[in-house]
Amino acid sequence: MTGGEQLAQYLMSGLTTGSIYALVALGFCLIHKATHIVNFAQGDFLSLGGLMMYSLLHWAGLPAPLAFVLAVAAVALVGAALERLAIRPAKSRDAMVLIFITVAASMFMRGIFKEVWGKQALAMPPLSPDVALKFLGATFTPQNLWVLGITLAAIALLSFFFRATLTGKAMRAVAANPRAAALMGIDTDRMVLYSFALAGALGGLAGVIITPITTLNYQVGVMMGLKGFASAVLGGYGSFTGAIAGGLALGLLESLATGVVSSAYKDLIAFVILLAVLFVRPGGLLGRAQQVRV
Amino acid sequence: MSRGQVFYLQMGCLGLAVLLAPLFMSNPYYLNVLNVVALNVIAVTGLNLLIGFAGAVSLGHAAFIGLGAYLSGMLSSIWGWPPLAAALAAAVLAALVALVIGLPTLRLEGNYLVMATLGFNLIVGIIMLQADQYTGGPSGLSGIEPVRLLGMTFSDDQSFYWLAWAVALLGLALARNLAASRVGRGLRALHDSPLAAAAVGVPTANYKVRVFVLSAVYASISGSLYAHYFGIITPRTFDIFRSVELVTMCLVGGMGSLWGGFIGAAFLTPLPQALHVFDQYKDVFYGGLLMVLLIREPEGLVGAWRRLRPRFGPKATGRPA
Amino acid sequence: MDDILAVENLSLSFGGLQALDGVSFSAPRGLVTAIIGPNGAGKTSAINCMSGVYRPQGGRVMLDGRQASGAPQHVLARRGLTRTFQNLQVFANLSVLENVMVGLHAVTKSGFLGAMFRLPGHRAEERAIRERALEMLDFIGLAELSGQPAGQLSYGDRKRVELARALVGRPKLVLLDEPVAGLNPAETEEMGSILLKVRGTGVSLLLVEHDMALVMRVSDKVVVLHFGRKIAEGTPHEIQNHPEVIATYLGGREEPINGVAEAAHA
Ligand SMILES: Nc1ncnc2c1ncn2[C@@H]1O[C@H](COP(=O)(O)OP(=O)(O)OP(=O)(O)O)[C@@H](O)[C@H]1O
Ligand SMILES: [Mg+2]
Repeated sequence: MTGGEQLAQYLMSGLTTGSIYALVALGFCLIHKATHIVNFAQGDFLSLGGLMMYSLLHWAGLPAPLAFVLAVAAVALVGAALERLAIRPAKSRDAMVLIFITVAASMFMRGIFKEVWGKQALAMPPLSPDVALKFLGATFTPQNLWVLGITLAAIALLSFFFRATLTGKAMRAVAANPRAAALMGIDTDRMVLYSFALAGALGGLAGVIITPITTLNYQVGVMMGLKGFASAVLGGYGSFTGAIAGGLALGLLESLATGVVSSAYKDLIAFVILLAVLFVRPGGLLGRAQQVRV
Repeated sequence: MSRGQVFYLQMGCLGLAVLLAPLFMSNPYYLNVLNVVALNVIAVTGLNLLIGFAGAVSLGHAAFIGLGAYLSGMLSSIWGWPPLAAALAAAVLAALVALVIGLPTLRLEGNYLVMATLGFNLIVGIIMLQADQYTGGPSGLSGIEPVRLLGMTFSDDQSFYWLAWAVALLGLALARNLAASRVGRGLRALHDSPLAAAAVGVPTANYKVRVFVLSAVYASISGSLYAHYFGIITPRTFDIFRSVELVTMCLVGGMGSLWGGFIGAAFLTPLPQALHVFDQYKDVFYGGLLMVLLIREPEGLVGAWRRLRPRFGPKATGRPA
Repeated sequence: MDDILAVENLSLSFGGLQALDGVSFSAPRGLVTAIIGPNGAGKTSAINCMSGVYRPQGGRVMLDGRQASGAPQHVLARRGLTRTFQNLQVFANLSVLENVMVGLHAVTKSGFLGAMFRLPGHRAEERAIRERALEMLDFIGLAELSGQPAGQLSYGDRKRVELARALVGRPKLVLLDEPVAGLNPAETEEMGSILLKVRGTGVSLLLVEHDMALVMRVSDKVVVLHFGRKIAEGTPHEIQNHPEVIATYLGGREEPINGVAEAAHA
């Protein structure tokens, strides 16, 4: 392979994982906007998306498109349940307590996944049969294209939802100023619920499309969740555009760096980048430092 | 009685209980469990300083325990350092690592520390597995020397019991001294209002970083003792699950209350031993317990006790006991 | 004249909103200076710039002849500048005595190790801290409440705790953001007397206040802000008769000054 082909290869795989990081980062962003907490179960949404897809295909024998929709919907439901059963009834409104409820929920969910699907890796089939495609010297599979296409479509849909629909606008209003939104007659509780459901759907979607490429097991989402978080921080935590940019940037950086560092240590790269960015630009690459109001 | 006197009275009672407990232990296995309780108390006390004072949580404390265990183990078994010197060097390194993680994350609003420490825990896990020429990889590091001090060797359950509990009680006393001091007041103040604390001269970011470093040192010491006690360590002991377990101990007992941390450790450490099927379901158990507790009783056992105590007091009326 | 504080050409904006627009004034040493102005005039923003909470985008603040703007809050506290807050910021979980003891943080030294191992220097300092804080509680009239958690006090008592916390370290200059807002007439009267007593001890005060009777009673100098600009400066008597100030305050009822400020606050 020539240097150029090598580069094209890195770019392709970087964009693919970057898309996934972006989807996960968007999920973090949604919940942050609605509640100002970090949802540690975001990565488990991804695992669940893959696991549900696997079961719907193999255990229920459903056709792929139907399984796809149902898997994403199921994770959205779990997201909503997390809000309804664990976050809303909490006695304390302290952000730290709420965050640790999501930590606990994450562990709890992982324990259940392990019981239901076991510890072993599961073989997840791609959305369309694997053939080797070549473009500018990079070799890839149709699944890479599915990932890129579906991510793009999801982002477009999300952007349409927030700009053009009443519910989307109401959610933005709640994020900007919950008190004012409530005064305007917006049901803020419901919008928070929708945010969790939407975050669940994004996580589930990421899981469905990436697990044929990576692998599928009960804890595949843990690392992805962390890297999605790192992406959100890179983009200036809480900004949608930043989340997408941060995800792609991290995916590409990681992929290029594996050319230099041994792949055993590949997972270190994201965190080294994260800490480095926090050192020099605490507000993230795109973010601005926040100012307190007294 | 001042609050300081109450604390030292409680400490005295605990010390007495520690002295007497071995008399009632027919089975050396129980002593082993108590030793692990002591090691957890050390780590949890440090973590509690961080949670209660800096208002920040670390999900990577198992990694600091692991750092203490592995460094101490490697220095003594590969390079022949005396265990105590090895433990000291490990603590210094854990402090430096905590500094590097804490500096960029703790001056920010929000919970960047939680993620950074979680990521750190994963990284340390990867290194323990991959750098197998030093760490022994998945099968771990074995043949670690026991601690020797003043001609004594702390290798068996009984002798290690004295060492571990002496360190645990010392750790509690030091933490409590800090809490009752100028620095401790500054830290508690910054938990209530960072702005007002800074306005009276508390260097808020600096203090948070220092507490984080201190808590990492507590964890590292706990890990070093662990390594020299068991003689063998494996990466699994220091995974993220362990970090969550430590946080659970803090929260079950009562966030930021030193006795709460002690109670949490004493209550949750023997539990896996008591429940046989526990190992397989520990994620579900710990996750579920932590979730229910945080939803219903965010102040932990100590908080519940404070809330309920008036009902047991002399003025309580109603149903006969 | 000897100034403890000089503000030169201070500018601060939030997005498009110019909260301070080239404001200059000074506060004479040992005296009481008041800043007045309608809601949203930029008074709190000015205090935040002086105390290191905000970094002004233009101009500078000089404290006792040395540059203060740009330095973080805790450093300014060590240089003898403390403050109170418009929206009360007592340490709710600390006792009243502990709140005031924390006020001595800037003027005491002992560190982590000294505290953990209770070294002799640390213990002597702890005793001194406690004694000084108790003295302060006597001065401010809170001695009986010293053991109470500050979060459980009445509003007026919390305001006094804040003042005691700011004064206990014998600062050179104290910035007070609306010290009598929300107090009843009797408490306001008492607070006025306390402020005059403090002035008598040589501490310089700079206060922001809407209560004109109090301003006239305690201050030696008054600065008037309006929409981020200084529109007048002088003795209380001069300010009372200043045409632009009168126009602002009398005209302010009809003009949308209050409305604008409220909209910006929402
Ligand atoms: N952190 C902030 N972000 C955005 N705008 C702000 C912020 N702080 C203050 N402002 C705006 O700046 C202007 C000046 O506010 P400031 O609080 O200084 O007024 P003030 O004179 O103290 O008013 P008041 O008498 O109501 O306390 C107002 O329009 C206010 O809404
Ligand atoms: Mg104000």
